[in-house]
Amino acid sequence: MEIVLDKVTASGNEKKLNIFRKVLNRVLNILHNGISIIIFLVLWEIAPRAGWVPETFITPPSLVLSTLWDLLITGVLTKHIETSMFRAVIGFILAAIVGVPLGFFLGGGFKLFERIVTPVLRLLNAVNPFSLFPVFILLFGIGEISKVAMIFWVCLWPIMLNTTTGVKNVDSLLIKSARSMGVTGKDLFFKVVLLAALPSIFHGLKTSCATAFFMLIAAEMIGASSGLGWLVFNAQTNYQIPKLFATTVTISILGLSLNYLFTVLEGRLLSWQERPAEY
Amino acid sequence: MKDSFKDLTTRLVDFSGIITFFLLWEILPRIGVVDGQFIPPISEVLVALWILASDGSLFIHIAASLQRTVIGLVLAIVVAVPMGFILGGVFPALSRQLRPLFRLFGQINGFSLFPVFMLFFGIGESAKVSIIFWSTLWPVLFTTISGVQQVDPLYIKSARSIGANKFIIFRKVLLPGAAPVIFTGVRTGATIAFLLLMAAEVIGASAGLGWLIHNSAMNNIIPRLFAGVITIAALGVFITYLIDYVENSIVDWKQHAGKEN
Repeated sequence: MEIVLDKVTASGNEKKLNIFRKVLNRVLNILHNGISIIIFLVLWEIAPRAGWVPETFITPPSLVLSTLWDLLITGVLTKHIETSMFRAVIGFILAAIVGVPLGFFLGGGFKLFERIVTPVLRLLNAVNPFSLFPVFILLFGIGEISKVAMIFWVCLWPIMLNTTTGVKNVDSLLIKSARSMGVTGKDLFFKVVLLAALPSIFHGLKTSCATAFFMLIAAEMIGASSGLGWLVFNAQTNYQIPKLFATTVTISILGLSLNYLFTVLEGRLLSWQERPAEY
Repeated sequence: MKDSFKDLTTRLVDFSGIITFFLLWEILPRIGVVDGQFIPPISEVLVALWILASDGSLFIHIAASLQRTVIGLVLAIVVAVPMGFILGGVFPALSRQLRPLFRLFGQINGFSLFPVFMLFFGIGESAKVSIIFWSTLWPVLFTTISGVQQVDPLYIKSARSIGANKFIIFRKVLLPGAAPVIFTGVRTGATIAFLLLMAAEVIGASAGLGWLIHNSAMNNIIPRLFAGVITIAALGVFITYLIDYVENSIVDWKQHAGKEN
C-alpha cells in the first residue's frame, strides 16, 4: 500500500513538472513566432510617446486598448459589432443557401444550360459590387435590407461559380468507381460528389466572406447610421483619433478571426488537401 | 466548312446567355416587371454612356481612377519586388521571422485603414493611392518572396558552374524564374485594389468613377449611374488585360497549356 502511495505522489510531481514544461514550451513558441509582432507593438507604443510621430495622429496601443475597453464596457462597441455581424452573417448565409444548391444544379445537370448561364454569372461577378451599392439603397432604402442585399449579391456569384466549378471538376473516375461498387443516388451525392467538390465550394465561401466583410464596412461608412463602418467614419469626422484606431483595430481583429475560422474549418474538413508552398 | 459552322454555333450558344441577359435588361424595365426608375432599360444606360463620352467627362473620370490605380500599383511593385528579393534571397531567416508580422498586415485590408490614411493625407489623392499601395504591396511582397525561394536550385547551380557572378544570376536566373509568380501577386493585388478604390472614391473624392456613381445616385440620375457601373466593370477587365499584356511581353517564354505553336 505504501509503495503504491509513493508511486502516486512521485508521478504526481512528475506530472506537474511535465505540464509546466509544456506550458513553458508553448509560451516560448508563441514568443518566438510572434517576436516580430511584439517588436512592432513595442515600436508602435514608443514612437508617439517619444515624439517620433505626432501623438495626435498615432495613438499608442496602450491608449487604443483602454479606449477599446471603455467602448466595450459602455456597450457601444458591442452594439455596433452586433449590427455589423448581423448584416454580414445573414447576407452570407442567404447567399450560401441559394448559391450552393444552384451551383450544384448548374454544375451537375444540363450541360447546355450551364454553358449558356455561366458567362452571365461571370459577367455579374465582374461588376464591382460596391458600385451597385447606390442601386441597392435606391431599391431598399437606407435600412438593414439594402446592406444585407448587397452582402448577398457580393457573396452569391463567387459561391455559385466556385460550386459549379467544383462540381464540374469532380473526377469522373471517382464517380465511376463508386458506381461500380454499387453506390447510387443519395449516397453517391453525399459521399462522393459533395466531398469531391468541397474544396472548391469552400474556396468560394472563404473568398466571398472576406470580400463581404470589408464591403460591409465600406457600405456602412457611407450609407448607414450604425455598425462598425459608421463608427469608424464617425470617429474620423469628429476627430476622435483614439476611437478611430480602436474601431479600426476591432474591424481588423474581426476580419482576421473570420479568416482564421475558415482556415481552421478548412484544415479539419479538407484534411486530405495538399497545400501549395506559400509564404 | 462544317467545322467553321460548328464553331459559329458553339460561339452563339456561349454568347446566348449574355445576349438573353441584355435582352431581358431592355425588356423587363420597359414592361414594368422591374421598376424602370430604379433599373432603367439598357438602351437608356447606353444613351447616358454616350452622353458622358461625347462631352469628355467620362474620360476625365476614367483617367482619374486609372491614374490612381496605376500609381498605387507601380509604387507597390517598386517597393515590394526589391524588398521581396532581398528578404527572400539574401535574408531568408529574417524573412521567416518577419512573416507573422507581414501576414498580419496583409490580412488587414486597405479599406479598414482608409480612415487612418485619410487622417494622414487628408481627402486628397494620396489617401486613395495609399489604399491601392497597401492592398497591392502585401500580395506582391509575398509572391515575390515565395517566387524567389521556389526558383529551381538546379538553375542557380548551373549558372554558378558556368562562372556566373551574383549579379548575372539575379538578372538571368532569379528574376525570370520568379516573374510568373510575381505577376500572379500583382494581379491579385490589382483586383482587390481596384475594388477598394471605387469604395474610396465614393466616400472622399471629387472625380473618378466612384465619385461619378455616388453623384449620380445623389442626384437621382439613374441611367448615368448604371453607365458608370458598366464603365467600372469594363475598366476592371481592362486593367486585368493590361497586366496580362505586360506579363506576356516580359515573360515571353511561358508555355501556355493547350496552345500549339
